[in-house]
Parts: sequence; C-alpha cells; structure tokens
Amino acid sequence: MNADEARESLAFSEYARKRARDDMSRPWLALVLLASLSVVSLSLTDAATSPTALFWVFAGPLGAGAIAIYAYRRNQSSGIESSPLAYVTITVGILILAYTAGKIGFAFQIPGVARFGPAFVAAAGYFALAWIERSWMVAAISFALLGVALAIVGFDLSSQQSKALVFGLYGITLLALGFSMRAGRKQLL
Amino acid sequence: MTHPTSALDDTIHQRVRLGILAVLSESRRADFTYLQEVLEVTPGNLSQHLAILEEAGHIQIAKGFEDKRSRTWVTVTRKGRSALASEVATMRALLDGIGIGQRS
Repeated sequence: MNADEARESLAFSEYARKRARDDMSRPWLALVLLASLSVVSLSLTDAATSPTALFWVFAGPLGAGAIAIYAYRRNQSSGIESSPLAYVTITVGILILAYTAGKIGFAFQIPGVARFGPAFVAAAGYFALAWIERSWMVAAISFALLGVALAIVGFDLSSQQSKALVFGLYGITLLALGFSMRAGRKQLL
Repeated sequence: MTHPTSALDDTIHQRVRLGILAVLSESRRADFTYLQEVLEVTPGNLSQHLAILEEAGHIQIAKGFEDKRSRTWVTVTRKGRSALASEVATMRALLDGIGIGQRS
C-alpha cells in the first residue's frame, strides 16, 4: 500500500462513517427536542395543575412516543439502525434535570432559576448532543435556547411572554427539523 | 526491525472492506442494500467482501424475512471494531511518518 492509497482509504472510510451518522441521526432528534422543549415550556408555569401544564404532561410524552415509533420504523426502512438506548437515556436525563431545575426554582422562590434553569439544562444537553453527533443544527438550537433563556431573565419577561418565546422557538425548531428530515428522506430515496 | 506496513491487516485495509467496517462501527446494524448504496459496489462484489470479513470474525451476517421479502442484516463484532480502530491508527501513523520524512 502506498501513501496515496492509504490517504484514499482513510478518506473513504471517513466518508462512509459520516454518511452512516447522517442517515441515522435525524429521526431521534425530533424525539429529544419535542420531549425536552415540552418540559421547558411546562416548567415555565408555576404548578403542574393549570390546564396548559396538564396538557403538556400528556401531550409531551405522547408526542415523543409517536416520534419514537416513527423514528424506529424509518430506521428500519432506511437500512441502517442505531441503538436507541443512548438517545433514550439523553432524553430522559434532559427531562428529569430540566423539570428538577424548574421545581427547585419554584420551591426556593428563586424566579430566575425557575425560568432560566430548565432552558439552561436543555441547552446544555443539546450542546453535548451536538458535540457527540457533530451536528451544527443541534448546536444552533442549543445557542438559540440559551439566548431565549437569557432574554427571559435579562428582560424580566412575564410568564406569558416567556412561554410565547419558548413556544416560538419550539415552532421554528420543529419546522427546521421537518425540512431537515424531508431533505434526509429525499437523499435516501 | 519490521517494516511499518506489516502492522496493516490484509483483511481490512482494502478500501471497500474498510468502508463496510466504518459504516457498521457507527451503527447497531446495517442491511445489504444500504451498504451497497453507500459503498457504490455491485451485489456480487459486496457479497465477496462480506464473506471475507465474516470468515475473519470481523462481522456477523443474519438473513431473514421482513414483509415477505428477504433481508440481510450485517453487524460488526468486537473484534471487527478493534481491528478497524487499529488499522486506521496504523494508516494515520504511516502517513504522519511519510509527512515527517518528506519535510526533513
């Protein structure tokens, strides 16, 4: 084997690795984002008893579950499967930590932590995920969420305004994700 | 003293076989059609490479039926994973060595 062959082989294996990663990464993304943004939105209300909060208690997990089933089926049809364990662990971890951060803020009457905490935890979780998956899109979402969290605290936004901002980001994220998954589907077909 | 290229594994340093292991090391399993599409090889060619890797214990092949269609799933073994890692490391070291030799 000469140097050019070695270089070519390494470049090819890197291409194959990246292609596999790209084809696997999109379906789980929606699961993590939907679940954690739901909890971030939920934690912006001071108790899980209001109609909106109760709606998200059920809608969040149900939506995440539906996306998980879709991701599993899509994985099967695409011909490459990733282990769901790591992503389920990350999702559950972000959910628990974000919810706990919100509850601690309310329990100790620290409004800043109650509003900023969950979004900060989710943003940190996304950033770790972006690093693992080498995904610029997830990194961008992480920074956007951090920006929203800072705006909530910095401009001392009301609960309604905070929720509107998080839901706005939530909508934009899902749209971006929808386009990304559609682009990925076109590549596979 | 042995030549540095003697550390390369003949079974996997071939371009397609390295690609197969690279795809599989990123995933839980991949099917035959997916590998064929990503690596841009013919079915016969891919079958030959898979057989070589399976014989060396680097991959496992499972054939079955899904929706009344036959489907072949390929999984990398622990041995295959570590062989890929050491092959890539050896090739990088060789290229680094060539780079240093050319500079000096």
